Amino acid sequence: MLCERCKIREANIQYTEVINGVKTEHNFCAQCAKELDFGQYSAIFDGEFPLVKLLSGLLGWEEPEEKEGKHQQVVCPTCKTTYEEFIENSQFGCADCYSVFDVLIHDNIKHLQGSDCHKGKVPLEQKEQKSKENIGKQVTDSLVENVMEKDSVESELRSLTRRLKEALKSEDYETAAMCRDKMKALKEGSGADA
Amino acid sequence: MLKWFECEEENRQNIISSKIRLARNWSEYVFPAKLSKEESLEMVKRLCEGLADLGEQDGNQYETTYLEDLSELDRRALKERRVLNASVLSRKAPMALMVSEKEDISLVFNGTDHIRIQALSTGLHLQELLKTANEVDDFINARFSYAFDEKYGYLTSFPTNVGTGMRASVMVHLPSLSLGKKFSSVLTNMGRFGVSIRGAYGEGRENYGSIFEVTNQKTMGQTEKELADLVGKVAQQLNDQENQVRALTLKNHKLEREDEVYKSYGVLKYARRLTMKEAMTYLSQLMAGITDGLIKPDNSCSIYRLMLGIQTANLQKLSDRPLGKEELDVARAAYLRRELLELG
Repeated sequence: MLCERCKIREANIQYTEVINGVKTEHNFCAQCAKELDFGQYSAIFDGEFPLVKLLSGLLGWEEPEEKEGKHQQVVCPTCKTTYEEFIENSQFGCADCYSVFDVLIHDNIKHLQGSDCHKGKVPLEQKEQKSKENIGKQVTDSLVENVMEKDSVESELRSLTRRLKEALKSEDYETAAMCRDKMKALKEGSGADA
Repeated sequence: MLKWFECEEENRQNIISSKIRLARNWSEYVFPAKLSKEESLEMVKRLCEGLADLGEQDGNQYETTYLEDLSELDRRALKERRVLNASVLSRKAPMALMVSEKEDISLVFNGTDHIRIQALSTGLHLQELLKTANEVDDFINARFSYAFDEKYGYLTSFPTNVGTGMRASVMVHLPSLSLGKKFSSVLTNMGRFGVSIRGAYGEGRENYGSIFEVTNQKTMGQTEKELADLVGKVAQQLNDQENQVRALTLKNHKLEREDEVYKSYGVLKYARRLTMKEAMTYLSQLMAGITDGLIKPDNSCSIYRLMLGIQTANLQKLSDRPLGKEELDVARAAYLRRELLELG
């Protein structure tokens, strides 16, 4: 259908007006809609598609009732960004926001990115640190084993938590119980080491 | 010196250009949105001074400009040439641009993130561009430490860029493929592969010139190389599909295709007024004709260069006074008459 105003472009906005019970329908293209006055709805057609708002909707959608509660008080100490502000703009204020809001945003980032774990390039300093660690490893073997073990325990725990969550979601309680027991055993094991 | 888009490209087919962008933040400062004006100025100044000798490393000549020193028109023209992006254009804070003579490598300081590294080229060269961008990245990182997290990777203002902070994109010209009825559903389904495809020029839902930009949607969970590979593969695939359709039209409707291409050339070469939509449409048809060998301008000329040339800010820049809408159409036609090469 062509836009009823310019009659050139395809109409992609349907506008229904009800005045005193009389319903009229209009079909406009995005450009004409922008030029026309729709009162409070005009904002919809102004400028670009409000992607940021859409994104913030997605970021905050999981816990609407909690948003107003305790999470509101989560504030990044470095840049003073509040959780509310973050949801509103879908924007972090500083590097520390990532750790401050970590628990709250972890799942959302995973949804958004399809992953929650960076693969790929690492800055030079981190690389150097890693290589230093490697040298350290060669010197004190036993200590390293300990660290490695801890690392692997932690990653094992992480994967178990993930599996536990998935199992609970799909109501597979058998697997969930198995995961829980394994996690318990691992935690006790590492606790005894420390 | 010639700009990157004016350089010759062998066998360009339907792939017009490639781009790699890396977003980085300096660990010493909070992200741009939370910086005060004074802090922004100080940071931008420190970055500009600290990286002034970048050219000595890669042999390029860089020019550094504070964006507030540029006119609105200059900034818009830089956006048309893809050196700046839209978000930078609307930002009011102190920002700076470091750009190579060819405009193929550019750094923007204090945009959405502290540092934005961009490398551009004609054709499909994502891996080479990634290498270039990485070298610039390492050069910067040797002097300025980055905001980085072992789990989340490079930290950015928006969660949509976190991880690698990399966006790879390729512009492809799909005049025949985009005519197909299923094309829009192909575009939506591309999301499943982790890439998005959208029209590069046009207003609203309209697309002028059938040029599409393929980009990676996600920035985390895969390495830079993997992401660039994915975008490259999709672009290559689209290019091949387009070629198949075009080969078919050449086989079955050669006369119609030839007619279309020569008519387009005629209009572009002789018209007195051309709207953006008209000019982009005819240039697109001419581009397809040159790729398919239906028409041979005297010298192989880059149609993409003309497409950039007829954009509004560039035409305004070439004129010595502000142009109205109708005057722009006249200026656009004049530009094309002047720049379009004679047929051999």
